[in-house]
Amino acid sequence: MKKLYRIARALVLLALLSPLGLAWLPPDRLPLRLEPAFQAVLQSSFRQLSITLAATLALAALLTVVLGYASVLWQRFGRTGASILKAVESVPAILVALFCYAPVSGYLARHSSGASQTVSLLVFILAATLTLLPEAVRGVAIPLGDLYHRKYSLSFRSYGFTKRRILAVLMGSHVMRGTLKRIAAGILLKTLVLDCSFGFIIQLGFGSYGTPAHASPGALIAANRDALFEGGTPALFWLPSLLLVAISTSFLLTLGEREEAAA
Amino acid sequence: MKAAPISLSGFSIFLGERPLVKESSFAPAPGSSSVVIGPTGVGKSVLLKTIAGLLPARTFRLGGAMRVQGIDAYVNGRKTGHAHWSNIMNRGLVFVPAESAQAMNPALTLEQNLKLLAPDSRPLIERRLKGHFGLDFASFARLYPDEVSGGELQRITLMVLLSRRGDLVLLDEPTVNLDRNLRWRFISFLNKEILPARDKTVLMASHDLDFIRALRLDDVYSLEKASLQRLDGLPSANGFQKPEAKKSPAEGLAIRDLSQSYFKRGIFGERSFKAFTGLSIQFGRSTIYGITGPSGCGKSSLIKAILRLLDGTKGEILLDGEDLVRIKPRERGRDPGAFRAFRRKMAVVQQDSRFAFFPDRRIRDSFRHIAELQGGPGSFDREELLKHLAKVGLSSVHLDSHPRALSSGEMKRIDIARALAAKPEVLLLDEPFAHIDFETRARVMRTISDYMAQNPTILLVVTHEDFDLRYFVEKSYDFPELVS
Repeated sequence: MKKLYRIARALVLLALLSPLGLAWLPPDRLPLRLEPAFQAVLQSSFRQLSITLAATLALAALLTVVLGYASVLWQRFGRTGASILKAVESVPAILVALFCYAPVSGYLARHSSGASQTVSLLVFILAATLTLLPEAVRGVAIPLGDLYHRKYSLSFRSYGFTKRRILAVLMGSHVMRGTLKRIAAGILLKTLVLDCSFGFIIQLGFGSYGTPAHASPGALIAANRDALFEGGTPALFWLPSLLLVAISTSFLLTLGEREEAAA
Repeated sequence: MKAAPISLSGFSIFLGERPLVKESSFAPAPGSSSVVIGPTGVGKSVLLKTIAGLLPARTFRLGGAMRVQGIDAYVNGRKTGHAHWSNIMNRGLVFVPAESAQAMNPALTLEQNLKLLAPDSRPLIERRLKGHFGLDFASFARLYPDEVSGGELQRITLMVLLSRRGDLVLLDEPTVNLDRNLRWRFISFLNKEILPARDKTVLMASHDLDFIRALRLDDVYSLEKASLQRLDGLPSANGFQKPEAKKSPAEGLAIRDLSQSYFKRGIFGERSFKAFTGLSIQFGRSTIYGITGPSGCGKSSLIKAILRLLDGTKGEILLDGEDLVRIKPRERGRDPGAFRAFRRKMAVVQQDSRFAFFPDRRIRDSFRHIAELQGGPGSFDREELLKHLAKVGLSSVHLDSHPRALSSGEMKRIDIARALAAKPEVLLLDEPFAHIDFETRARVMRTISDYMAQNPTILLVVTHEDFDLRYFVEKSYDFPELVS
C-alpha cells in the first residue's frame, strides 16, 4: 500500500513537472495544438525556465552544501557567513536581481540578442542564488549543527573521528538527505517565483525589445495580459499561468513532505 | 458516557518477526493514571509511540484494533487516515517523549516554541516552572534551544508539553534526564497538579521503580514476553555482589584548579559564561566515583573537558603525569599527535547512546569503522565485544540492527559493551543506566565491576538515580560542592 502510494505520488509529481520536459519536444510531437507563433514562444519560455531552474538549483545547492558544511566545521566562518547572508536577506529579492543587472546593463544593450540573453541568464542565476542562499544555508547548518553538537560529536570525537569526517557522515544521513531534498524544492520554488516576477516586471517596464532579455513564462503572461479583455483569447494568459501553478504545486508537495518520526 | 481514552483489542506489535505486544487488550478508565513497566527493550516506548501515532510503519508490523479517544486509530493493524488522526489530535493527545527536549524546534526561540506547542498556556507554564522547577521562563524566552543547558531545556520542555491542552497524556520515561532533586520536584508536581485532577488520563512507561513508587497511580501494568498484564503491586529492586576491583600503584586522574567557560549568544552578541570554576579533585584507580548534582551544574561539561572536547578550559587535567589541557588546549575538530595516545586510553558512554553509532547503518558497520580508525581489527577486540555483549544480556544479533530498531536501553547496553571492549584506562559514564530496568541494570553493573576486577580503571559515573548510588557507586561527590 505504502509502495503504491509512493509510486502514485511520484507519477503525480512527474505529471505536474511535465511542462518543463514537454517544452523541449519538437512542436509537432506535442499533444496540444496551439497557434504556431504562441506555441513557439510558450515552448521557448518554458525551455528558458527549465534552464534557469536547473542551473540555479545546481549552483545554489552546491554552494548551500559547501557553505552549510563549512559553517558548522569552522564556527568563525559560520558566524561571519551568517552575518553577511543576513545582510543580503534584508534586501528584497527582486531588488537584488535588479542591482545585479546594473553592472552589465551597458553590455546587454550593446550586444546581439543571443549574447545578451546568455549574459542575462547568467546574471539572473547569480542573483537568484544570492537571494536563496541565506535560508538554504541556514536550512543545512541548523540541523547539521544540531546533529553534530547535540547528538553525535561526543561519542564519535571520543573514538577519534575528526569533525570533518563526522560531518561528512551526517551529511549523508537519512535526516540530512530529507532536509536537502526539501531545501532543493524550496530553491526551485523561489527561483520560479523570482524568475516569473522578474520577467513580468521587465516585460511591463521595457516591452519585448527591452533589456535585459528575460523570456520567462512571467514575461509571456505579462505580454498576453490583454487577452483577458473582450475580443482576446484568454487561453494565451491562462495556459502559461496554469502550467506554472502545476510546476509550483509539485515543488510545494516535495517541500511539505514530512519524514516519519524516528522510533 | 465518556469514551475510553485508549482501547486495545487483540492488538499486536511486531519488530520484524519478534512480537513486542501480542494480541493484547487494554483499556484504562477515563481520568485514571497508569504505568507500564517491564525489562529494557521489551517495547514499552514502542507501545506509547503506537498510541501516539508516531511509530514508523517501515520498521514495525501491527495487528488488531486500537481506538484512541473513542476514534479508530488502527483497524486490522493498519493506521487509519489523516481525518481520524486529526480528530484524535483535536480531542487532545499529548505525547512527552523520553528525550523531551527533542520536541523543541532548534531554529525557533523558546518563546516561539512555546507559542507553537502550547499557545494559550504561557501563564500556566511560567507558574509551574517557577513553582516546581525554580526557573524563570522570561529569562530564557529569547534564547534558542542550543543556548540553554540540557537540564534547563528538559525542564522547560516537560512543563510546556504537560501544560498543553489535552485529556490524554502519554509520558515515556519522563525522569530519564532529571537529577535527583528535580526528580522529586517532578514527582511532587505530578502528584499535586496532574494526577489528582483526574481530568486527564495519564499513561506512562517507566523502568524507574523509585519514581513509580512515589507517584499516586491507579494501575500498574507489566509488559513482558509480549504480554500486557495488570499487576497487584510493584516488584522489588535488588542489588548485586560486587567483585573486588584490581588494585594498581599507577597514578589516577588529577584535576587542579579547573574551570570551564562557554560562549552564549545574547542580545548584545556573544558573551562568555562559566560552567564551573576552581575544581580540584583526584580520582584514583579501582574506585567507582559518582558525580551527582542538579541538571546544568556542569557535570557533563567536566566529562567533555576531560575528553578534551571543549574550548575554554583552564587549569590542569593530569593523566600519567601529562597535562591534557596543555597538550590539547582547544577543540578544533581533530586531535594533535601528542594527544592521540590519551584518546585511546579514554572511553565515554554518553547520555543518549542512540547517537553513539552511525545513523542509518547497522551497528556492526559502526564497529567496523571504529576499528578501522583505531588501526585495524586488532585494536578493537571482537571477542571481547561479544563477551561483554553477552554479559549485558545481548548477542551478536543486535549488531545486525540499525540504531532506530533498538530501544534506548539496548543501545545503552551496546554502548557500554563497546566502551569496555576498547579496554580503557579512564571510563567516563554519563547516566549509563538511564533507560535500563533495575534487574538488567544490576547485570550491567556487574559487567562493569567484572571489568574493574581485571583492569585498574579510573571510573567516573555521572548519575541521578538513588539505585546507582545505593548499589554501584563507592564514593560520591555532589558537583556543586566541589566547585567554587
